Amino acid sequence: MMLNSPREGRLEPHESQLIDRNRVVAFEYGGWPIKANGGDTIASALHAVGIRTLSRSFKYHRRRGLLCVAGRCANCMVTVDGVPNVRACLEPVRNGMKVRHQNAWPSLDDDLLSILDRFDRLLPVGFYYKMFHSPRLLWRLASPIIRRMAGLGSVNVDSASGSRYHHENLHADVAVVGAGPSGISAALAAAGAGARVVLIDDQPTLGGHLRFDTRTHGGLPDFPSMEGHALAVELERSVRSMEGIDILPNATAFGHYEGNLLGVLSESRMIKLRARRIVIATGSYELPLTFDRNDVPGVMLCTGIQRLIHLYGIKPGSSAVVATTNDQGYDVALDMLEAGVRIVAVADSRPSFPHRLAAAATLQSRGVLVLDSHVLTRAEGGKRVVGAVMARQANGKPTTEERQFDCDLIAVSGGFQAADSLLYQAGCEPAYDDALGETVPLKLPSDMFAAGEVTGIHDLAISMAQGRLAGLEAAAGLGHTAAGVNGEADGLRRELAAAEASYRSGVSIAPMLVEPGQGAKRFVCFCEDVTAKDIAYAVDEGFDDVQTLKRYTTATMGPCQGKMCLKHFVGISAQRAGKGIGEAGVTTARPPLQPVPLGALAGPSYMPIKRTSIDGRHRQLGAHMVDVGPWQRPYSYGPPQDECQAVRQRVGIIDVSTLGKLDVRGRDAPALLGKVYTHHFASLRQGRIRYGLLCADNGTILDDGTVTRLAEDHYFVTTSTAAVETIEEWFKWWLAGTGMCAHVTNVTSGLAAINVAGPRARETLGKLTGVDLSPDAFRYMRSAQGDVAGVPSILLRIGFVGETGWEVHFPAEYGEYLWDALMDAGEEFGISPFGTEAQRILRLEKKHIIPNHDTDMVSNPLNSDMDWVVRFDKEDFIGRGALAMAKERGLRNKLVGFVMRDGLVPDDGDPVVAGRAPVGRVHASSRLSPTLGKGFGFAWVPIELANEGEVIYIRVDGRTLPAQVTLEPVYDPEGVRLRE
Amino acid sequence: MAFLIDCPNCGNRDVYEFRFGGEVTARPAPDASDREWTRYFYLRRNVAGEQHEWWYHTFGCRKWFVAVRDTVTNQVHETAWPKETH
Repeated sequence: MMLNSPREGRLEPHESQLIDRNRVVAFEYGGWPIKANGGDTIASALHAVGIRTLSRSFKYHRRRGLLCVAGRCANCMVTVDGVPNVRACLEPVRNGMKVRHQNAWPSLDDDLLSILDRFDRLLPVGFYYKMFHSPRLLWRLASPIIRRMAGLGSVNVDSASGSRYHHENLHADVAVVGAGPSGISAALAAAGAGARVVLIDDQPTLGGHLRFDTRTHGGLPDFPSMEGHALAVELERSVRSMEGIDILPNATAFGHYEGNLLGVLSESRMIKLRARRIVIATGSYELPLTFDRNDVPGVMLCTGIQRLIHLYGIKPGSSAVVATTNDQGYDVALDMLEAGVRIVAVADSRPSFPHRLAAAATLQSRGVLVLDSHVLTRAEGGKRVVGAVMARQANGKPTTEERQFDCDLIAVSGGFQAADSLLYQAGCEPAYDDALGETVPLKLPSDMFAAGEVTGIHDLAISMAQGRLAGLEAAAGLGHTAAGVNGEADGLRRELAAAEASYRSGVSIAPMLVEPGQGAKRFVCFCEDVTAKDIAYAVDEGFDDVQTLKRYTTATMGPCQGKMCLKHFVGISAQRAGKGIGEAGVTTARPPLQPVPLGALAGPSYMPIKRTSIDGRHRQLGAHMVDVGPWQRPYSYGPPQDECQAVRQRVGIIDVSTLGKLDVRGRDAPALLGKVYTHHFASLRQGRIRYGLLCADNGTILDDGTVTRLAEDHYFVTTSTAAVETIEEWFKWWLAGTGMCAHVTNVTSGLAAINVAGPRARETLGKLTGVDLSPDAFRYMRSAQGDVAGVPSILLRIGFVGETGWEVHFPAEYGEYLWDALMDAGEEFGISPFGTEAQRILRLEKKHIIPNHDTDMVSNPLNSDMDWVVRFDKEDFIGRGALAMAKERGLRNKLVGFVMRDGLVPDDGDPVVAGRAPVGRVHASSRLSPTLGKGFGFAWVPIELANEGEVIYIRVDGRTLPAQVTLEPVYDPEGVRLRE
Repeated sequence: MAFLIDCPNCGNRDVYEFRFGGEVTARPAPDASDREWTRYFYLRRNVAGEQHEWWYHTFGCRKWFVAVRDTVTNQVHETAWPKETH
């Protein structure tokens, strides 16, 4: 059945054609090899070899074929190389590409689910709301089945499609959307006046509808009389040779956002185009007609047929019936006649033959049957069109006077719909113009202009003049007023006013009446399979407002986003509800106006990974790394319990470079720290360190760390690993507008830090520094500055893990050098590096909390058992008000330590129970204690259970197990070791 | 969200360079009543219209400033360094 030579079935070569007959492209369609010409799209290649059904519809699984051939409708969506919902009529053929159909099983030709088409009575609009309402379980059972049966392609969740796309930013004085005659005129005018222009079009070549127009156009300023496609070439040439215009072909402007930002998708590029002025010259698209079985493959839009003939050299069928409501049908009938198609009949719904039209006269002179006052009432055929039935119309309604014609192609034109979404997204108001029979933009924002057919006027000379004027006005608004620009704009305005008035007087539009029909389906919304009858019934059910009607029927909500159906949808609902079309209004325009792959919006994923300056050593030591915020840290180098032993018995070192480090200086630095921390800092003496806790003003814990006073007006602050950016902001926020003299600098990446801890830490570090580390000279919570292995360092004597130890901060450039020096110095004492896991166990034995790990959004210092750090004797600090209130009210629960009876370790979130009722929960940090050999951790318990030695019960894997509450650290509760 | 904010230090920049800091509120005096504190902690005006709010230029000068933004249109009418607010 299939022809399989790309040259067969094609028309004589013509200048307007895009195909390259000297290049053969071979691809696969559903396993079949297909040969195409270079320049073909998937759809043109398939049509040329006789394939008419391209997809199955969303709900009823009806056959669908080419309709618009312009990437507007959803009829030709296919899966290409695993990417679903690619529009075959836009996608160029490539050698070796694999194309598959969607939403049909077992095959496109024999889709078993097409049985649904017979059961439409059981599947009215919103049947799932009505049928699966109760019991609730029913919907749970039904929804997976319905989801499988309906729908389009399937997404490959494993594909990293984000990486196929990248994001770009573009800036322009003037962005022109649409490179048809009006858009090109606008771009030329704006660039001529001196503006930087970006011109966007969704087709590969410029010129808009002129590209497939073979009529001769004369009387245009700047251009001699020539055929449309030649004019398109001329326009493209002039815009390409003009300075200051960037052209983006194959690019869809899918949304208008605040600040005149356009979202533009161009193949793999997601472009954010910020323009100071925007000219919308997006033109219009042709609409289908509503009649019985108006979706049978072989029913095509007139412009779609013109594209097949003039762009791809394809004879669209052998015999055609044309049904039109406007002049368009005659041009297409003539085009088809010249392409060798037999024109069986032309039906015009308007009451009188348009004698003024040259194409109409030519058709009559060549003996084509032209019927005025006739409408198409049904298409015949199942797999493809075999005939058409039309009826004479009287008083705007079809009579029973019917005529049947055999044909294999039905060309329809139901008028035009302005491609106006971007205008309405930008806040422009739509208004229905009765004289033009179209919705037109009113009240444009001052930085936006409209030109061409998007204004509802379909006249080449007017479009080009509108474009030129828009371009001049856009440029003038930016101060580009080259000599003569204002005069030219005034002249254009006068000419346009006259031309538009004369155009309006000549418009003849057919009253649009759509009957719901009996029996067979007449589709309004092809994407969602919504018929005229569905809409009429929904209006009768009370959904007489277009906004609610849209949501209820889902008409206009499919992949075409209402492009094929909005006008008919509004028309039918207005007619049924007894309103005027203008009164019915339109649905709200929102981005995106064309489907955009989520991968394009997401873009490539840039997850920053931070590595400390000692990272290379960790990897050499075979560390198992973990992510801590953006940082990668060693989790452990071997068994964590062994690392704990090393620290408790000998000496260990850990890379703590990831700690946030802030340098705070200035006369008012003590006042700032006194305000943000719960503790006193003005009284902290030089060379001393104090633990600091930060609360939000509602009393909840934000972060903790150490604060060291290096000099009178100079503090060194550490924060948790992931928190430093937030804390820097926090400090600056409480400085903003206060006039305080304090300066906060984030020095995190400039300094590396190593903690040396354990009974042999003093001996290890002592080998490398001249600083006196003896217990009396360098006491707990004191600091000193000096060289370590020749590297200038800040030494902080602190005890996070509960042993004698120093945190050494030093320039990050010396990271590996100092690490090596410490490892060498500690070798004789049995030094071992330790990772975050050992650190967590060790600090847990000391009951040191990690904010936002052990605490949550409702934890405050009082219920976290840290009252000692809150100084109510201070007049004010951030969180004081809330904490004072909390203290007055008393605590309801508390974070306490617990110890299990044996080595069993509960999970995060295991409930603390009283009888069968949960009264608390285990918090994130349970571990096995190396000191006790038992499971232990933190738990939230009711205040009445928060007593030393209290027995609580924890549900672990279905068993209720006893544990003992401990308010003291399980290791060295007196804090002797870390002070030694 | 795609609007621009005129940072008093760096000029007109994309909103994604900034962090939103919420409505400008007045912090009660330390001895204020519980009612006043509670209102300050938890209640916001949440106007549909012009709002004074905090913004921080995270990917720029890393400074806080106050913007006057229309919450309906996302038009930023004015930006300035903060006056004595807390």
